[in-house]
Amino acid sequence: MKQNEMLAMILAGGRGSRLRELTNKVAKPAVSFGGKYRIIDFPLSNCSNSGIDIIGVLTQYESVLLNSYVAAGRRWGLDSKDSGVFVLPPREKADANLDVYRGTADAISQNIDFIDNYDPEYLLILSGDHIYKMNYDLMLDFHKAHGADATIAVIGVPMREASRFGIMNTDENNRIVEFEEKPEHPRSNLASMGIYIFNWKLLRELLLSDIKNCDSHHDFGKDIIPTMLGNGCGLYAYEFKGYWKDVGTIDSLWEANMDLLDRRNALNLDDSSWLIYSENQNALPQYIGPEAKVDTAYITQGCAIEGEVQRSVLFTGARVDKHARVIDSVLMPGVEIGEGAVVTRALVADGVHIGKGAVAGSADSENILLVAQDVKGKEIV
Amino acid sequence: MATAFGIVTSSGSRFRVEGLQDHRPIGAFSFLGRYRVIDFPVSNLSNSNIDRIQVYVSQNPRSLAEHLAGGQHYNINSKRGKLQLLFNQDSRLNDIYNTDLSSYLENIEIIERMPQEYVILTPGYMVFTQDFNTLLEQHIESGADITLLYHRVDNAKTAYQNCNVLELNRQKGLNAIGPNLGTANERNIFMDTYIMKRELFVSLIRKGHKLSSVYTLSEVVNIENANLDIRGVPHRGYFAAICDFQSYYDANMELLDIDTARELFRPDWQIYTQTTDSCPTKYAEGASVRNSMIANGCTIEGVVENSVIGRGVTIRKGAVVRNCMILGHTIIDCDVHLEYQVIDKWAKIVHMKEIVASGERPGYIHRDDVL
Repeated sequence: MKQNEMLAMILAGGRGSRLRELTNKVAKPAVSFGGKYRIIDFPLSNCSNSGIDIIGVLTQYESVLLNSYVAAGRRWGLDSKDSGVFVLPPREKADANLDVYRGTADAISQNIDFIDNYDPEYLLILSGDHIYKMNYDLMLDFHKAHGADATIAVIGVPMREASRFGIMNTDENNRIVEFEEKPEHPRSNLASMGIYIFNWKLLRELLLSDIKNCDSHHDFGKDIIPTMLGNGCGLYAYEFKGYWKDVGTIDSLWEANMDLLDRRNALNLDDSSWLIYSENQNALPQYIGPEAKVDTAYITQGCAIEGEVQRSVLFTGARVDKHARVIDSVLMPGVEIGEGAVVTRALVADGVHIGKGAVAGSADSENILLVAQDVKGKEIV
Repeated sequence: MATAFGIVTSSGSRFRVEGLQDHRPIGAFSFLGRYRVIDFPVSNLSNSNIDRIQVYVSQNPRSLAEHLAGGQHYNINSKRGKLQLLFNQDSRLNDIYNTDLSSYLENIEIIERMPQEYVILTPGYMVFTQDFNTLLEQHIESGADITLLYHRVDNAKTAYQNCNVLELNRQKGLNAIGPNLGTANERNIFMDTYIMKRELFVSLIRKGHKLSSVYTLSEVVNIENANLDIRGVPHRGYFAAICDFQSYYDANMELLDIDTARELFRPDWQIYTQTTDSCPTKYAEGASVRNSMIANGCTIEGVVENSVIGRGVTIRKGAVVRNCMILGHTIIDCDVHLEYQVIDKWAKIVHMKEIVASGERPGYIHRDDVL
């Protein structure tokens, strides 16, 4: 067996309740994005492209769909003899009762046995709900070059937004001197991306003592990182430059989809050297009908458009019937817009049907309208 | 339950599709933007739960070999099933030796070793859907030695050149198989699909070869008709034979009619193909697209009408593409005007600003060419 220098663990247990009805039946990492993808395709494809062979996916909330989705490692090329994607929900063990993952660190603690099987030098911790493309191998190079105990990927955010993030204050050598969770008066704009590389032996020890600590939240940001800083460990910030988005709310999910319409969009899903892989959908090519009008759109296979689409992103199998108009909107998989209906500034959830002549959303709304239920003909929502 | 294995046959040198066939066999031709012609027979077999499949390849095997790979994308069980590519050495001395029968003869040990009782031969160069399970049951029930599938057409004078025609009696018994001479419009076009016992197939291969080294399977079946019970079964639904350049172009164009397309692509009979992981297609501001089928991974800034656009195609500002088939990864540069063209993969139309032909005689641009 190949020596696995670095193993990846993806934290995919969160519900993402700010995505409201979108996560009623699926966990946030399984939410659809960008026409043909699911959010978790991004960290999984990044791993595959970075040469990481073994990936554990820690699932908890509504995990049936997510579990079956990620188990097919072939989609991301993770099916060679010595590679695989392993779904790791909480489980009952001989020496411990079945217990939920109490926090991000606890999810790793409960799978120490799994990680030990591969005896890695380094452990990469990822979050399953961010949209970005990143070469983790370069981050590992940085980690080694700095002789770090842990490396945290950070991204520069606008200063006025910095108080929404976990902020790293660093010295001139990128060494982290202080970590502040959502500071009121941020002193730096380097936000944690929730991506960590640890030396496994050290982290393993810290986790074993964290399990026993009743006062701990068992969380990387709240407990493990502060403990390491307190112990004088070498923590370094690896600054990532590129597109990164936490699609935590309906507005930000809509916005991230809309970003794909921009020619200069830094995510560039078209880059053949760093493709994002996904499920192979069986569907016809997109069909644009004789009376259709399509202007500024991101459309995937299986869509059938006979009406008008403007500045919108359409997911697999979405249908826009004659004389219907879809403007500034996101139509998730299988959405059907009936004849003459008008959809504006809306995010229409998977499989929702909007009846003939209905009107959903308006051009001057402050927030994006989430349409999670069928809309009857001529109804206005 | 009776079991069958499938053979996806090669057109050999019977059909000639100008241009495209210089680069790959007909089975590997791009179809409707994201498929290849061979996806149809292989999906038909797989959907009929036939997962031992031999694919015969005679020339330029690379693209087919890559596309078919291990067959998992066709839902073929990776342990119990098998998608096998069989090659035959073409005679370079004389093309008349390169018959389907000679390629079966070359692989006869493999055919004889198949454990299945029946064999279904189906062409890798025709587009249709067919449930072979139903057909096999029908074949067994009828007691016939060989069942042949045909499609009734009303335009055989001008189309289906070099296809074979079945002459049937009132009970659908075979009178003769012969080439379509273009003398009548109403014909039973033979879909080159046979069902018979494996043993009979093997004996026909051997017998045929003894009779003449240049015989084809259909010729042997025609001769053996005197001794065997051979029947025709009509096919219903969409059917296209890719037998020349025009038929290839026409088949793609007629599927721009969404109702025709839905007849071929039914939710209960999926057509599988290899994924290429291309992202969705981007329509820029000012793009204008009508009545077209467009694959993923394209960037469209210009005008596209009545066309089939393959994966990863770029159509820049001011370009006009009408009644065209643009194959994968092609670039149509600013202000280029194309009508009735088939542009093969990876071509770049940059300098030549106008290439216009007619529907009766569409034009062709070679793979990788820069114009």
